[in-house]
Amino acid sequence: SSHEHKLNFKKSKELCLSYIQDAVLQKQWKRAAEFLTFYIESLEKDFSREYVGPSEIIWRIGTEILCHHSRSSMKEFNSFIEQMKTLRVKRYLKVCLEHAFHLLCNGLIDEAYENLSVAESWRFGEQTVIQDKEMKLIRAYRGVLDYYSWSKQKNVLMERGQDGFEDLSVEQEMHSCFRKAAVNLKEIIKIPGVWDLFVKCYVDLLEFYGDHDEARQVLNEYAYNSKFPANPNAHVYLYEFLKRHGESKKSLISALKILHDTVPSHELMIEFNTMLQKSKKRKKRRLGLKVIFAALDYAGWKENVKAWSCLARQVKQIVISEKRLYWIKQEWNSRKDWWPAFHFSRYLAKKNWQENESLSHEKALVAGILLGKDCKYFKYVSHQGCKAQVKRFRILKKFVNKHNPVYLRISR
Amino acid sequence: MEFPDALFPSYFGTGPPREEGGPNPAAGWGEHGQVLEASPARRQAETAFVPRRGRTGESWEPADAAAVPFLLPNASCWIPSLAPQDILCRSTLRRKLRAGKSGAALDFTKQLGHFFVDHPEDAFGSLGQLLHKNFYLGNSKLRRPARSSTIRMTALMEEIDRLEARRGCPRQHLVSRLRWFSHLCRDWLFEVPLGLLADCVHEELLLQWASLLFDDSPTGGALAWLPPKDVGACVGQLVYPGGQAMNHLYFQDVVLEDLPRARGSPAHFELNGRIRQVAAAQVDGEDFVGVRSDYYCGVWRVPGRTGAAPAPLQVIRTGVPASCLTVSPHLPGELSVCTQSGAVYLWSVETGLQQLRHDPQTMFFRDHSPWRWSDFTAHPRVLSCADRTGLQCLDARAPERCHFDLFKVGEEAGCQQGERVVLPMYLGRAHPSQHLVTTQFSVYVLDERLPLVPVLKWAHMMKAPPLFAHLMPGGPGRSHKVLLGASRTQELLLLQYRGKRWGFFRRGGQSACQLAGPPQKLHSIAGCLQHLPAQLPHHHHLLQQRLSTPAAGLAAALQEDRPRESLLVFQLSEVGDVFCQRLTHEEEPCASPETSPAVPSPAAALRYRRWLKALSKGCREPPRHTWPPTIGQKRLFTRKELEVLAEPSALHGQVRQRLRQAMREGGRIQRWDSPAPQPPALLQPMGPAGGLDPLSTRLTAAWSGDWEQWWEDRMSFNIARRQRALRERRRRQKRARGRCSLSASFTSSLTYQSELSELSDAAPPPPSPGCPHVLSREDSPPAGSPRASASPDEALLSSQSLRCRGIPKERRKTLRDYLAVWAEGPPEPPEPPGSQASQLCIPSSQSQLSSASQPRRKRPRMGF
Repeated sequence: SSHEHKLNFKKSKELCLSYIQDAVLQKQWKRAAEFLTFYIESLEKDFSREYVGPSEIIWRIGTEILCHHSRSSMKEFNSFIEQMKTLRVKRYLKVCLEHAFHLLCNGLIDEAYENLSVAESWRFGEQTVIQDKEMKLIRAYRGVLDYYSWSKQKNVLMERGQDGFEDLSVEQEMHSCFRKAAVNLKEIIKIPGVWDLFVKCYVDLLEFYGDHDEARQVLNEYAYNSKFPANPNAHVYLYEFLKRHGESKKSLISALKILHDTVPSHELMIEFNTMLQKSKKRKKRRLGLKVIFAALDYAGWKENVKAWSCLARQVKQIVISEKRLYWIKQEWNSRKDWWPAFHFSRYLAKKNWQENESLSHEKALVAGILLGKDCKYFKYVSHQGCKAQVKRFRILKKFVNKHNPVYLRISR
Repeated sequence: MEFPDALFPSYFGTGPPREEGGPNPAAGWGEHGQVLEASPARRQAETAFVPRRGRTGESWEPADAAAVPFLLPNASCWIPSLAPQDILCRSTLRRKLRAGKSGAALDFTKQLGHFFVDHPEDAFGSLGQLLHKNFYLGNSKLRRPARSSTIRMTALMEEIDRLEARRGCPRQHLVSRLRWFSHLCRDWLFEVPLGLLADCVHEELLLQWASLLFDDSPTGGALAWLPPKDVGACVGQLVYPGGQAMNHLYFQDVVLEDLPRARGSPAHFELNGRIRQVAAAQVDGEDFVGVRSDYYCGVWRVPGRTGAAPAPLQVIRTGVPASCLTVSPHLPGELSVCTQSGAVYLWSVETGLQQLRHDPQTMFFRDHSPWRWSDFTAHPRVLSCADRTGLQCLDARAPERCHFDLFKVGEEAGCQQGERVVLPMYLGRAHPSQHLVTTQFSVYVLDERLPLVPVLKWAHMMKAPPLFAHLMPGGPGRSHKVLLGASRTQELLLLQYRGKRWGFFRRGGQSACQLAGPPQKLHSIAGCLQHLPAQLPHHHHLLQQRLSTPAAGLAAALQEDRPRESLLVFQLSEVGDVFCQRLTHEEEPCASPETSPAVPSPAAALRYRRWLKALSKGCREPPRHTWPPTIGQKRLFTRKELEVLAEPSALHGQVRQRLRQAMREGGRIQRWDSPAPQPPALLQPMGPAGGLDPLSTRLTAAWSGDWEQWWEDRMSFNIARRQRALRERRRRQKRARGRCSLSASFTSSLTYQSELSELSDAAPPPPSPGCPHVLSREDSPPAGSPRASASPDEALLSSQSLRCRGIPKERRKTLRDYLAVWAEGPPEPPEPPGSQASQLCIPSSQSQLSSASQPRRKRPRMGF
């Protein structure tokens, strides 16, 4: 009966698909390709009302196979994708976008550009939300490519120096690239998302044409609009922009303070700490200590010599001046139950000493002040250092011994 | 660790997931995801782009044709796990399936019936005893004085039987007598009020059904690899559970060679419950191993010196089953524990437990699952905690105030409708701020510094949700490898991703996370079946069942010191078998498209043979719990009583001699008849007498390709015979066991599995009267000779002869029972001496162990 026939057909279709899956997952591309040619038959009698139809499956698996098959060529890939584009209208934009990605990754930038332009002019009834998003992405990527050709022409002109700017045709083309890029990039970065690539391109364009206010507004929006995800890069771009334009220390610090509040382990925290330490204001120096302590809480910073030397320097300053020891005390209070095991174990002393002498030096100083001269880390490192006749370790030992009472005051 | 210079573009939405659709069989393929500029520094040159997915990865090729057993089979009396047909209404199920509905109907009455049959004491104990005299089960009519106070139950029983036979019949109607009886005694007969009991049974049934659909108790996996401490050393340790109830913990030294080899005997601890999860982390050169069972969690320390024994540190007990145990990679002796009541604890060996959160509700939207998980993050004082709806990070110093959302099942991560978190894992060894989250559809890599937006997402297309994951961090310039494992389907998937720098840029920037190379499927345990030597069909079936039991854990070891880098993947099954496979790293991926070898190497083949041999040895020994109980005869009769007869007849002398001989040899008397040439009883071809001889039909069938059909026919032909044998055997067993083993009575819910073994046991030897036949213990299991008492020895046991010997009436039956038992099976051997190294670590006063290891719980039933 026809019902049974349908069932059998469905069954064998599923079986075939599972064979293909198996082959693809075991990287047997040739086998997978053979099965796929059989599977294409399933398009003929597509009774399925499932969400994922066979046309999408064929597109996905075919692309995967052609990406990895040793004998596939770009020409074959292109012709396969062109067929896929006509196969299912609803996924047209997605297929186009992926096709462009493939071309881009293979260095075929002009082809990708052309492809994106064709896709952009596609119209088919009412657009769904997804299609709308895909269309915006297509435009944005085209904007990026426009930006690159703008940047190339800009470089050409810059190289030619002053007289280059007389080449009007190049200049005009450059400006037209700018306009095309700016329109599309501006569009997408209004929508909440992670748009690092697009924002960077757009800001670069604006900066070149001197539109700093617009650039600043874009970056501010990208960093501080609460509808956008908490992307550390947004803060970094803003901070770098401010730095480039010689903004005041205050605004730089406030930008980094926000970054510190969201990502205390960001690598810019060292720069932030240095900036704060140089400050004359007590409050800022205190913040600096807080920042470096917070950064060293993270496992990724455990062996960061720069960070440890920042902390060592500041702690040393405080100890020598014997003022504001309570700063250290307050920071230390929430850490004294786990920093010794996390940073200052005997195992780490041995390891740090063997692997990185300067790291062990900085850490030993901090350990000696925070935990006293009897702490395992300090004892081991200073002992090894003195044994190896390294001068700075002898100085370190003397310093810690001299300021040992500080430890008692901190840990009280 | 620096943050990537630029991230791949993505939209960011909020709210519940919008994308619908279920599992997509091809969702993970054919996409680059997004692209990003590869080298922003060198803008002068031609711009290059890198995709989020689709870059080439490292090439790892399987070295063998299938997974190879690493250890000998776990000596478990293997109980087949619960199958859907055990608790579903069969007819209803069939009807429903035909209608295309997926709703399942649970067979509640059957289970309740099982309870009454299996635990009559608990169900009707006191009233049963009180009314004992008022129920009559015999066939004869009741006499006048008794009739006034006694009910004859036989008719009622018959009607119950008839009802059973008509089960599923549409025209079924209740019998008035049964109705009357149940109305009469429903309120007072039951020890536990029927409503309450029914609630409990129903609840348990639902739980069992839920765990059949998806069992999350093994989440995280019960296998851990402790890498060699010294660089270059090739001896690591594998930590795994074993034993009948999977309640023994082993620490086995493993020498990494082509095929890894166990060295020495493992350190061994007996625990107080089935081991669900083994987690390990290395801190300061020492390994800390956390072990989770339902109500106990323990932590062991394995010192850094090679050869040092693992030391148990602490045990905690939870009132509600624990669902998660993870070990801190930052601080020695710190763990995190979650329970199904929604509590999350930070557990420090030094300072004890600190409750961080207690919330029976799920975090982001309502989900019924009590499963909770927790892991560590880049900050040693911040823990991630998860339920099915997402992940949050909590600061242990102020858990109420300081927390942020790391992952939400929602539009933020582009999830699908119905997607749920299955396993989160901290990827600290690869990157200090990255986390892996798996759902039933996808895997995500998250960065704590950019919460809610996955830095990597891939639809894994696995058939069962990945419950196990293992990370192997790659060094500079290498990809990180993640193994994903599913439990029910034993699927294993190798993924590679990169998150390292690929050059020096302005800020020495890092690249965004990318999936590298096509994901790869590894061998599953069940895949080795085709490489094992050919088996007899029923052995093959048993083996297939054993090999395809759900996986219970996953671990891997990287060998870098060899000329060709290789990766050893260990997989643990639910019955405690550990298999391994090796992958080798090919330097030039496209140089030789080497496929995995088609046949196992000689070394692997040897391992298969050894494993099979050990397995069949373990299986041949009949499971202990099916043996009839033995009775000590020492106090039964005094010597005097037995020596009454003045003149023993020749038969008596002969019989006594046989008895002595049998006792001396430790054998048993099978039949009280004369020794006859033993017929070849093993594997009698079972078939009809007429027509072709069985071998020819079998070969013909095999030739024409429907050998399976032939076997089915053969089986069904024998069903009648088998049933007869079974019934006979059951009757005999009942008689033999008498009152002492009511709970071990046989019911119809025996699985096919055990029926099969019954069948092979009951290869019927042709009855040949004669002398007693003495079987030594090494022989095959006793041929079920139901007529043990119908031989000439009847005379010996007849009531007259016993009476004339002065044996009192009440002991005669005991003696008869005793002899019947003796004729049936060898006595239970003494308990094997426990391992010397074994230590009872977790106090066993709680009855956790007994419920988990009860060997008698053979039939998949409600857990009472």
